[in-house]
Amino acid sequence: MATTSMQLSREKRKAVFRKVSLPYLYLLPAFAVMGVITFYPLIYQVIISFTDFQTKDLLLQLASPELKKVGVQNYVDIITGGLPVQNFEFFRVLIYNIWWALTNVMVHVPAGVLIAVLLNTQGLWGKRIYRAIFVLPVVVPPIVVGTVWKNIFDEQYGAMNQFLTLLVHLFGQIDPVRIRWLQEYSPPIPWLLPNGPLTLAYYAMMIANFWLGWPFMTLVATGALQSIPKDLYEAASIDGASGAQQFWNITVPLLRPVMIPAAVYGFTLSFNLFNFVYFMSGGGPARSTEILVTFAFDLIRNLRLYGVAAAFSVIIFFVALVVFLITNRITRATESYTEA
Amino acid sequence: MASVTYENVYKRFGDMVAVDNLNIHVDDKEFLVLVGPSGCGKTTALRLLAGLEEISSGAIKIADRVVNDVAPKDRDIAMVFQSYALYPHLSIYDNMAFGLKLRKTPKEEIKRRVTEAAEVLGIQDLLTRKPRQLSGGQRQRVAVGRAIVREPKVFLFDEPLSNLDAKLRVQMRAEISKLHQRLQTTFIYVTHDQTEAMTMATRIAVINKGKLQQIDTPQNLYDHPGNLFVAGFIGSPAMNFFPGKLRKDNGRLVVDAGDFVVPIPEKKAGPYKAHADKNITFGIRPENIHDENFVPLNIDVEKVAVKVDVTELMGNEIFLYLISGKNTFVARVDPRSSLRVGQQAHVMFDMDNFHIFDAETEETIR
Ligand SMILES: Nc1ncnc2c1ncn2[C@@H]1O[C@H](COP(=O)(O)OP(=O)(O)OP(=O)(O)O)[C@@H](O)[C@H]1O
Ligand SMILES: [Mg+2]
Repeated sequence: MATTSMQLSREKRKAVFRKVSLPYLYLLPAFAVMGVITFYPLIYQVIISFTDFQTKDLLLQLASPELKKVGVQNYVDIITGGLPVQNFEFFRVLIYNIWWALTNVMVHVPAGVLIAVLLNTQGLWGKRIYRAIFVLPVVVPPIVVGTVWKNIFDEQYGAMNQFLTLLVHLFGQIDPVRIRWLQEYSPPIPWLLPNGPLTLAYYAMMIANFWLGWPFMTLVATGALQSIPKDLYEAASIDGASGAQQFWNITVPLLRPVMIPAAVYGFTLSFNLFNFVYFMSGGGPARSTEILVTFAFDLIRNLRLYGVAAAFSVIIFFVALVVFLITNRITRATESYTEA
Repeated sequence: MASVTYENVYKRFGDMVAVDNLNIHVDDKEFLVLVGPSGCGKTTALRLLAGLEEISSGAIKIADRVVNDVAPKDRDIAMVFQSYALYPHLSIYDNMAFGLKLRKTPKEEIKRRVTEAAEVLGIQDLLTRKPRQLSGGQRQRVAVGRAIVREPKVFLFDEPLSNLDAKLRVQMRAEISKLHQRLQTTFIYVTHDQTEAMTMATRIAVINKGKLQQIDTPQNLYDHPGNLFVAGFIGSPAMNFFPGKLRKDNGRLVVDAGDFVVPIPEKKAGPYKAHADKNITFGIRPENIHDENFVPLNIDVEKVAVKVDVTELMGNEIFLYLISGKNTFVARVDPRSSLRVGQQAHVMFDMDNFHIFDAETEETIR
């Protein structure tokens, strides 16, 4: 009697064990792959962030006899500006980076919604054509966009200056316009971001990134608009709402649950928009448009400071984590109004 | 406080004529029900009145003012949508207050009206909730409440009960009727449910294929349908129809339905005399067909031979599905009837209550 019950319980435990372990078994291959391509580099990077890893150590890596442990010195140098790098202050870059992402989203979302609303007008001719066209920027690689816009803002041959030249000619000006979009250092609106110059390059990049950013927002808003029941507008019009009042009282609040996650996504995208920034301004002039990821890349590519770059990446990781936690919170706070 | 008039109103969607020369006059404080089968143009007619669709031609008047070019918000109407169309992001209170806020009504006044309407509808406890936290019946009340607080001249309802379960529908029917008595305002109510129409309306307008068929009080529509469509649409179960001929037989006028022949009583024959030898449709309601053994006193009856096909016991009555030759029809007989499925029997047609329609024009002969 006793033995059978013990046997039973052993069998039972076995079954339970199998049930619990099975999912992990399934996950094992994925973990193995991730271990090699994600976790190993991650840990390796954290380790070298505490060293003075440089070109000299590339051959023997961690076994290199010249590799010195420097403790948290790299981190301290980054944050206090002790790096052998010109025009670099960590917090200025961080604040610019946040400002860059924020202002982009603040322009893209309203513009995207506005365009979506206009394209959603009943009886508008050629709706499908417009909708096909505005997918275009979404599918063009940011590298191409960055390069093309860099040329557009070229001082000598750029389309922007030529266009402006044409414009001032109409008003009797003879001199060609030669705005140094990507080189001019003195900020046109000095008070806008007091702790760092917002150079002309920033505005040029805002324009270029606008081209890149609004279609996605319009795409999202168009989908959301079509899911707003028409009878809400009819009810509102009977209730006495004008077109503008319907927009503010119905359209905007009902787009909110969809647009906020889209804005959060847009923010993180702009926050780490490496390709575009690197190819358009390269972070210049004088690192005024540098964002964290382009700076980290520069630390390796030009300065060969592997240890510092590793430490910098760890810092970026924590910044990204904070950004993620905040945005995640915002996203979750926007519940949908419809049936749960 | 307002009358409503449709004058030669047409509405076309492309080639589709959704509303076809509609002429209706609704008096102040009336409860008019627009009823008809699906797709007949009821909703369209209502939306034209609300200003949500533009009329193709004709005129619509509210309180003797032509409103063809008046915006919905300036027509002084309120509408309850079939979907309720509550603003999902606003609380119940704000849903009801929305129209008043837009009209810049003072805050205390808004509060007074919303609370009052909420009390009338029994939704005081729901005011802070969002629409999605409400049941279908509660949402329906909120939709009505939103209309009430506006204190409009005319209330429009588009099938407001069709999303509710049967029991709640009966209850809300009574409540809307009560509301009408209380508010003393013009109600225009669209439904495809003839029971709803019969129980609530002061007058019913029956519409089919965009055309007004007949407009009258529920009782008159039931007793004196103007044509075949109205006769078949009003009443449940529907009136039985038999194609046949009017014929003279030994000097008496008879209805010859092929499988049976019933003479028309002399006192009712008057209007039919001119139509002898015409093709007609003979109509009789199920409750005017009786079990041979349970015939009410003092009515003229005619015996018709039938076979019982199906019986449905309803408790206080029995529905008999009967076959006479190629005709099948329904009788609503006394619950004591002992007729059984498959039985050959006789039923009695009440010849004081029948209808005869011209087979060609489908108009009632009278
Ligand atoms: N916007 C529109 N465009 C084209 N046709 C329409 C439009 N609205 C309605 N119709 C057509 O007009 C006719 C009447 O429609 P309506 O909605 O008034 O019917 P209804 O009587 O309310 O039917 P139901 O009982 O199903 O609601 C239908 O045949 C419908 O297809
Ligand atoms: Mg309808």
